[in-house]
Amino acid sequence: MSVPEPSAPVLQTSAVSIRFGGVQALADVDLRADRWEIVGIIGPNGAGKTTLFNCITGFYEATSGRVHFKGEDVTDLPVHERAARGMGRTFQNVGLVKGSTVGENLKSAQHLQVRYGPLGALFGSTKASEIEAQAEERARHILDLVDLGHLWGTRVAGLPYGIQKRLEIAAVLATDPELLLLDEPGSGLGPEEADELGDFLVDIRERFQLTIVLIDHHVPLVTRISDYMYCLNLGEVLCEGQPEDVRNHPDVVRAYLGLSPEEVA
Amino acid sequence: MTAVDPTTRLDVLEPVAHPVDDDRRGPSALGWVPRAAVWAFLAWAVLLYPGNIASPFQVAAFDANRMSEAVIFAIIGLSLNVLIGYAGQVSLGHQAFVGIGAFTSAYVVTDLTQEVVLGVLVAALVGAVQSVLLGLVSLRLTGLYFALVTLVYGVMAQQSIFAIEAFTGGTAGKAAARPTGFESDHRYYYFALMFLVGVLALDWRLLRTKGGRAILALRENPRVAQTWGIDTKAYTLFAFAVAGLFAGIGGGLLAHRDLQVVANPFDFNLALVFVLMTTVGGLRNRTGVVLGSMFFAFLRNGYLVEKLRLAGPLELIDLSPEFAPLVIGPILLLVVLTRLPGGFGQLARPWQEWLAGRRFRWVPAEEEVTINDVRA
Amino acid sequence: MLAVTGTDLLQSLVIGVVNGAVYALIALGLVLVYRSSGIFNFAQAEFGTVAVYGAYFSFTYWGFPYVVAALFGVVCGIAAALATERFVIRPLSQGPKVTLLVATAGIALLSIGVAFWRTGDNALRFFDPLTQWEGARIAGVQVSGQRLLTLLLLLVAVALLTAFFRSPYGLAVLAASQDADASALVGLDVNRISMLVWGIAGTLGAFAGILLQGGNAFTPGAITSLALIPGFTAAVIGGLTSLPGAVLGGMVIGMLESFGRLSTFDVVPGASSVSVFVVLLLVLMIRPEGLLGGRTAT
Repeated sequence: MSVPEPSAPVLQTSAVSIRFGGVQALADVDLRADRWEIVGIIGPNGAGKTTLFNCITGFYEATSGRVHFKGEDVTDLPVHERAARGMGRTFQNVGLVKGSTVGENLKSAQHLQVRYGPLGALFGSTKASEIEAQAEERARHILDLVDLGHLWGTRVAGLPYGIQKRLEIAAVLATDPELLLLDEPGSGLGPEEADELGDFLVDIRERFQLTIVLIDHHVPLVTRISDYMYCLNLGEVLCEGQPEDVRNHPDVVRAYLGLSPEEVA
Repeated sequence: MTAVDPTTRLDVLEPVAHPVDDDRRGPSALGWVPRAAVWAFLAWAVLLYPGNIASPFQVAAFDANRMSEAVIFAIIGLSLNVLIGYAGQVSLGHQAFVGIGAFTSAYVVTDLTQEVVLGVLVAALVGAVQSVLLGLVSLRLTGLYFALVTLVYGVMAQQSIFAIEAFTGGTAGKAAARPTGFESDHRYYYFALMFLVGVLALDWRLLRTKGGRAILALRENPRVAQTWGIDTKAYTLFAFAVAGLFAGIGGGLLAHRDLQVVANPFDFNLALVFVLMTTVGGLRNRTGVVLGSMFFAFLRNGYLVEKLRLAGPLELIDLSPEFAPLVIGPILLLVVLTRLPGGFGQLARPWQEWLAGRRFRWVPAEEEVTINDVRA
Repeated sequence: MLAVTGTDLLQSLVIGVVNGAVYALIALGLVLVYRSSGIFNFAQAEFGTVAVYGAYFSFTYWGFPYVVAALFGVVCGIAAALATERFVIRPLSQGPKVTLLVATAGIALLSIGVAFWRTGDNALRFFDPLTQWEGARIAGVQVSGQRLLTLLLLLVAVALLTAFFRSPYGLAVLAASQDADASALVGLDVNRISMLVWGIAGTLGAFAGILLQGGNAFTPGAITSLALIPGFTAAVIGGLTSLPGAVLGGMVIGMLESFGRLSTFDVVPGASSVSVFVVLLLVLMIRPEGLLGGRTAT
């Protein structure tokens, strides 16, 4: 792993573009997230927000443009190697192994922290069992952090959606990321719960020293906790800047179907 | 890596106390009496009865041989369970995996005059290697296409690889002696049983460690697995290696049980029986797979039908014991697929709970989580 | 074999096409089912075996007239396909595709088991060929009437299926394969469409079986062991979704076998199964969408 320049932003995309057949899904997107920042991305449906996440994490190969993570060019790395460098993400439709238990998920998510060879572990070594015990302890702690400690042995598939969403963030935290890419963590939440989520995100940012990039439709939530905000529309950055400025920007208001700024709030 | 584990930023977290689950408390002393009795019976049936030790029954050599076969089938079932159950890859060519193990072990023992244990271990290794080679193909294909490739591979192996004179001795087959000290049919059962115990232990370790968790995660949701840092290709191959390892052991043991390996039995029907016994046993359920595999092993050639004295009733519908498995097996499969997704394992589950000191209760089958459209 | 002459090559070509016709019929059934429901049907060739046994029993034991017996066999094959759809495929239609695959393999095994149950182990059966017509000499190869009939039937099947998929009902089948839920919403009876597709697949399998086995001795699972793998490989070569591709694939496999017998490659044990395996791998690795297929395999 190359040594990152101390001054480099945690995440930087430069002119990232992607085409699907004839559709230009992203056009020259420049995005930057500095250390410990919370960066919000808003935009109407189909604006290319999730597509951008997929380019950043490596699920999609950008047609052109580069992605830098901690100063290193990761554009050509596969997903799991980007994860190994400290990129964590959540999914719109809950990224968990739903057939397994809550505890198993949190242990599986620590794949990178569990540092022993899979083959050696088969034949059992004391080192492996020590690391396993540590992983389990950490998993339980993270679960307690999101108040789900009592669900350790429960199968994920049967849990309510809201709980699954919380669990998903816990699982990503278990990967020990430096950058957290959250894809609609607030979907399905009411205004009050969204508020709680906001506090929670600010809290984990400090506790784990995270940089967070956040996509969400709860514009007030994103505005409140973000240090910087982008609005995407039709695959392009419509505008960027201080959250309040972006939110009240006439172009942004127009993009949200011509609603007045008050209605967007 | 020397240090056990570097501290991560996650270690800033504080533990929280949780109340103890009520169901975790065991039964009363009296409740343990029937459980202990069943445990004792099971131990006797597995450990003593087949060897005519402390047993009022006389197990004939032929029957002991069938029991060895059941034990070996359990190993093969566990191998297929790793592929189908854990990794989600259907192998319709598993007879080739097993057959290559059988001929390898026979070759090492007969041509290279080595110990049987070494032969079986080499068979395991060769099985793992050929399995990984086939696994490389799977990385480029979806599940259905891969199943087809394994089907063609299996038939090809039977007609081509197993027809190489130097390796397999042609149609006459290759001799495969029993290990020293385990020459009798009764003793060989214990030889096979040791390997089954080893395979069970490995399988148990697998699911409790990094590699197994990675395989389970990538089967159900490869995208999420990748974001957790799991190299999905590498761990798919790891699953193939483990499955090949088990299949090789099963093949080697089968060879020395039969004393002579011939290519003929390793045909497509056998591959189907392997898939059948694993599925009917219950995918991802260790006990179920072992029970299912043993059941199908005993069913072969009508052995179980004769033992249970069912030949008479079957005669009424004109079904000879010899062909009974060919009819009963697929029907069981279709019933399990459509009505009892957990297979034998699901039926055994309440008993397992009870034996472990909990209440006897029916545990409904866990529905398979299918990810049809992983929107990322 | 010392030298291969032009006549040899020509003869191999004819034999390849003639044998390939049966594989093509099986492949057509596989393509049809895959296209409409995304299922690999490992029981496809077994529908042919069912037809052969149906024809044999009704002719030999029940004294049906020959033609009626043959048709009865075809009906048996269709019935087997419909029963498979109704009692196995439909209840499992929401499950994982891998489960369905195992289920169709189970159907095949059940059919083989029932044949053993009813007829015993080594009892070779024999059913007269469909036609006593001695056929014609093509490029120095005597091609029997039975074989010519197979080719003719293949052409008819392709023509009928092509016409079918241009008809409103055929378009409904295609729509249902794209999105079953949406099709149900707009009033298409997805179950009936599925029955229809499996019925056609059963018909193709049944005819393939009767044409392949008429005049030869057979044992349980005969058509599966003879034609399932070549049929599947043919379908994959053709792209699994293309009807002309299936026919082309059948011919390629037929010729691969006949040319394989010509060459010195013959000294390798199991040469023809090795070549089928290699061709399958090559197609899947290099051109997974097949020669004439539209969509990719991965």
